[in-house]
Amino acid sequence: MAYVALIPLLPAIAFAVLTPLSRQMRNRVRWIGLVSVGGALALSLAAFAAVWPGGSEEATYRASLPIAQVGGVDLNLGILLDPVAAIMLLVVTVVGTCVQVYSLGYMHRDERVGWYFAVLSLFTAAMLALVLADNFLMLYMAWEVMGLCSYLLIGFWHEQEAPRKASQKAFLTTRVGDVGFAIGLALMYATVGSFEYDAVFAGVGQWAPGVATAVALLLLIGAMGKSAQVPLHVWLPDAMAGPTPASALIHAATMVAAGVYLVARALPIFEASGIALTITMIVGVTTALVGGVIAAVQHDIKKVLAYSTISQLGFMFVAIGAGGAIAGMFHLVTHAFFKSLLFLGAGVIIHAAHTQDMREMGGLSKHLPWTTWTFGAGALALAGIAPFSGFWSKDEILYALYKGEHYVVLALAAAAAFVTAFYVARLWFRVFTGPVQTDHLKEGHAEMIGPMVLLAGITATLGFSAPFFSEFLGHAGHWPDPLIAGGSTAVALGGLALGYWAYGRRTVVLNTRSLKERAGYAYDALAKKLYFDLTYEYFLIKPFMSVTESLYRFDVKAVDGVVNGAAKAWNGLTAVSARFDLAVVDGAVNGLAGSARAAGRTLRKIQVGRVQTYQRYILGAVVLLMVWIVVKGA
Amino acid sequence: MMQVGPSAFMALAAVLFSLGLYGAVARKSAVMVLMSLELMAVAVSLNMVALSRFVTPTEMTGQVFTIFTMVVSAAEIGLGLALVLAIYRQTRSIELTRMDTLKG
Repeated sequence: MAYVALIPLLPAIAFAVLTPLSRQMRNRVRWIGLVSVGGALALSLAAFAAVWPGGSEEATYRASLPIAQVGGVDLNLGILLDPVAAIMLLVVTVVGTCVQVYSLGYMHRDERVGWYFAVLSLFTAAMLALVLADNFLMLYMAWEVMGLCSYLLIGFWHEQEAPRKASQKAFLTTRVGDVGFAIGLALMYATVGSFEYDAVFAGVGQWAPGVATAVALLLLIGAMGKSAQVPLHVWLPDAMAGPTPASALIHAATMVAAGVYLVARALPIFEASGIALTITMIVGVTTALVGGVIAAVQHDIKKVLAYSTISQLGFMFVAIGAGGAIAGMFHLVTHAFFKSLLFLGAGVIIHAAHTQDMREMGGLSKHLPWTTWTFGAGALALAGIAPFSGFWSKDEILYALYKGEHYVVLALAAAAAFVTAFYVARLWFRVFTGPVQTDHLKEGHAEMIGPMVLLAGITATLGFSAPFFSEFLGHAGHWPDPLIAGGSTAVALGGLALGYWAYGRRTVVLNTRSLKERAGYAYDALAKKLYFDLTYEYFLIKPFMSVTESLYRFDVKAVDGVVNGAAKAWNGLTAVSARFDLAVVDGAVNGLAGSARAAGRTLRKIQVGRVQTYQRYILGAVVLLMVWIVVKGA
Repeated sequence: MMQVGPSAFMALAAVLFSLGLYGAVARKSAVMVLMSLELMAVAVSLNMVALSRFVTPTEMTGQVFTIFTMVVSAAEIGLGLALVLAIYRQTRSIELTRMDTLKG
């Protein structure tokens, strides 16, 4: 079973191989990323088979590698392969492989495609490590690496301003959550003295009152940042500035689900607290509603999907908060498949229509048949129509609420489901029906359509595994309750019908302006995303900027003044030294050279080059010599 | 009858040598300078022959040496003329005042 460790290592190796290469070389061997993720997928299948049929403790595999000792306590890199981890492995590797194949077609014209695949591989490695971690510290490490990859991929086109800003926003916003996470881990370590899941959960009942709640809430803050829950959701819509396949993998299917995974993993702590579960539920249902209604007024197709993702993640939190962790995990799995399918479809649509604005699209169903059918499967799953997977998982969430007697939350969740169906219908009719507004509509490449067909197949069939999913995770499974299933289908159909009434009929088109006039203030509020960004801008970013501004001024005047003064003094000293050097040292050297040159200049005058002149010199010399001899001799 | 002693020969030789020296220093033409050099060599040879005849009449040292000198100066004049010809081919001139490429 040691091969389990290879699952996250393979993509990590791909990253390590790709990174040091030159850009051209990296672009040429970009398939390394795909091969590594494909290998991880094969190993994940083997791991899944090894865990099968699940349901009991014997089915888990553990291994750990000590890396350090702190205060007598071991810190380990550990692997815990249990049914939950096995399922997550499959989700991550299947979606990861699909996205890598799709990206070969989507990104093939980009200059830095090799780097794109390298980061995608690193991300996959981190997500797989997070899933397999057997302690919170390793989970946190993988968590942060994913944050880095998310930052890199959102800002992939960093020549443009919007992606650059969006990547910073995403990094800083999730950082707010991560600080909470880190404090929670510190508190946990102070209480238990270990990060291992088993050690932490074993004594969770004996913790001092309030500690469990504090740890659970701090972990929840981390999860809210990563999973884009209100009020830390603002980064996810902006994250759509990155490449669409990366959005599909990171900002729809896997990374944003890590928060849900964290809460599900740390469930014993939340259960020990009790109140933390209720808060999780409240956060979740708020997010589900807020995300849904904002999605209903967005015009950018990717933003609609982004708010939809926020809303669906809210559903997962609701489920876990209501005691239906299995339902939450199941929704995570189904959502990962159908939402990545929708994002990949959106990528094809954006390539074909050359715009992301749905108002400029229309009638795509005639020209993009494959995209239409696969996108339709994903859209129906998102709306919650049987037999597509979203219906089954949403049904389980509503059932968990019903069984837990959270009737108010149930009503709110139903309302969110209604809005979900409405914006799905709005998107569908805007994009695929109506008049064609763009010329040269072209279907995507085969390597783009293939993964979408696979994901559509999974979306259409995965729902039927709902009862077995529970049993695999060690709980009693059940088929949908007729009352809940009927109610949720009615709600979804109602939402779709309203969407059709508003956007689907050719004769009466409810355009943005008329909706604006009817809804007035409420529409404005929604179109401005309920003022979340403006609030942050006004109360956090502006004061922060003014503080940094004054600090900057202090820096310029006081700190720089001292530094510049020292520099100036030193400058003066060196000037004196330079003058001495020039005058005395150089003077001596130049003087020597100058006198030699002057001597040469004088002496060369007698070297006239004429033989007869030299003869005259000789004659003169001989005469002088003879005179001297005569005088001396006499 | 006028006695012709060695001093008469030596005076003639001195006149010849002075003419040659003047020519070698003052003439512009390379050919004339060569001829002047010959004149100086002839003056020296005359001295040797005369002194040999008057100082050591029994030995022929001066005469023999003069034969050698004539041979050497014949070779020397051949070489000198060859040089003059080569220079003329290069510069189309045999004026010594123009030959100052060695000027420092």
